[in-house]
Amino acid sequence: MTILASSSPSMIQPAMSIQPAMSIQPAASIQVYPGPLVLRGVATTPDLANHLAQWGAQPKLDLTTLLELCSSAVVKGRGGAGFPFARKLSTVADHRRRGQRPVVVVNAAEGEPISAKDSALLLTSPHLVLDGAALSAHALGAREVIIVTASDRPWVADAVAAAIGERESARADRSLRWSHRPTAGRFVAGASQAVLEHLAGRAALPVTAWVPEAVRGVRGRPTLLSNAETFAQVAALARIGAEEYRALGTATSPGTTLLTVARLDEPSGSSHEPAVHEVGYGTPLVDLLPWDAQDGPVLLGGFHGTWASPVQIAGLAVDRDAFAERSLALGAGVLAPAGRACPVALTARITAYLADQSARRCGPCLNGLPALAESMAALARGVDTRARIRELGGVVVRRGACAHPDGSARLVSSLLDHLPDAVGDHLSRSCTCTGGAR
Amino acid sequence: MTSTSAHLRVDWPHCDARGLCAEVLPELIHVDEWGYPVIVGGVTPELRQSAKEAVLVCPKRALRLLRDG
Repeated sequence: MTILASSSPSMIQPAMSIQPAMSIQPAASIQVYPGPLVLRGVATTPDLANHLAQWGAQPKLDLTTLLELCSSAVVKGRGGAGFPFARKLSTVADHRRRGQRPVVVVNAAEGEPISAKDSALLLTSPHLVLDGAALSAHALGAREVIIVTASDRPWVADAVAAAIGERESARADRSLRWSHRPTAGRFVAGASQAVLEHLAGRAALPVTAWVPEAVRGVRGRPTLLSNAETFAQVAALARIGAEEYRALGTATSPGTTLLTVARLDEPSGSSHEPAVHEVGYGTPLVDLLPWDAQDGPVLLGGFHGTWASPVQIAGLAVDRDAFAERSLALGAGVLAPAGRACPVALTARITAYLADQSARRCGPCLNGLPALAESMAALARGVDTRARIRELGGVVVRRGACAHPDGSARLVSSLLDHLPDAVGDHLSRSCTCTGGAR
Repeated sequence: MTSTSAHLRVDWPHCDARGLCAEVLPELIHVDEWGYPVIVGGVTPELRQSAKEAVLVCPKRALRLLRDG
């Protein structure tokens, strides 16, 4: 089904407006497909009554049971970094202090502009996300849950506000205080340290984390901050149990994952809307790609992700370990096929966008990303700047308060490492975008 | 290889490329093309004193000496 996120049809935007690079906006219209677990309720309206009919009452688990469940089901964070959820949970629990109850933060900012999976989840199943947050809060003895959405996805903010309102009037989870805090709609505002800065009343920009938020986060309290999908996965897992959850995925990656398929080319007559799927881990990746984009390169993980060639993708399953074996990463679950578009030209535009999205606070990012964007633009014009691109990629890595420079370097390095033939064709002017045949 | 017990970490949003740290501790701190520090290794016991000086000399207090682990 198509979820029209904005109320007014005139607000509909294409999945990604690629020119000029600075105007890349999240999609207001998303194709959401029913899935085996967290997206099984897509066809019904997202209200609390339907949610309870579908899932039954939310179980209350003690900390030990929840930890055991999450570690046996290998639940990892779905925001991109893939940190084990049980470890985060136990760090928060270990740092509880007298008179300082922990805080739970649901990160639904979805800073990656072509990702739509957290939006899809909150538009179709907001109560599953809130259940996961409530479940975690109960296990930790937390009384406060904060949900952070982004201002460039106002439809998600509306869905969250409506769901919180429903729970309050139904007097559900009365021991909890829910709040909703919209943050800036920019790429780096979704980074966890930027979210915490925003909650502290400062600009939503990354700062150096000397101590993890699980130890000291919101108002100095131990804070469980995780991506929206992670909480929905935990809620679903608590309902069905580890055994059934494991049966949905593979031995090393149990359960399911949400994926956004957002094409980077502009096919005529075909949809620009990103599609959100929920699949069991182990599903062949090629099954998720549009038929006319299967023989081209795919950007995996979003703008901070890695390019993969058709050869790398052939036979590849959606599985964290299978990806890692091929030097690929699933990140926040974006599959962005280039289709007929030139990956060199696309990377140049994306790098210009990423440079523009820098918070401009850390020197290496402030200087390095514009230099990287300039070198990528030159490459797109046919100048061989590969050595300079590699040099700059090495200079910016691990030299910032957040992963923005690292993600940008990963993107450009993967173009050179994984698509050397496409870059070669581009430089010899034999690719489609420079007028040659492909 | 000499064992290290500590490492230097830059507080990037605060660093202003003044370059004093690299002058005090050229063994471990190089600078990039814009003058920002590049930490090239861990702090060995012999360099510990110089590392402390590098931390103290920073006018932006953007360098910290942290224990490994």
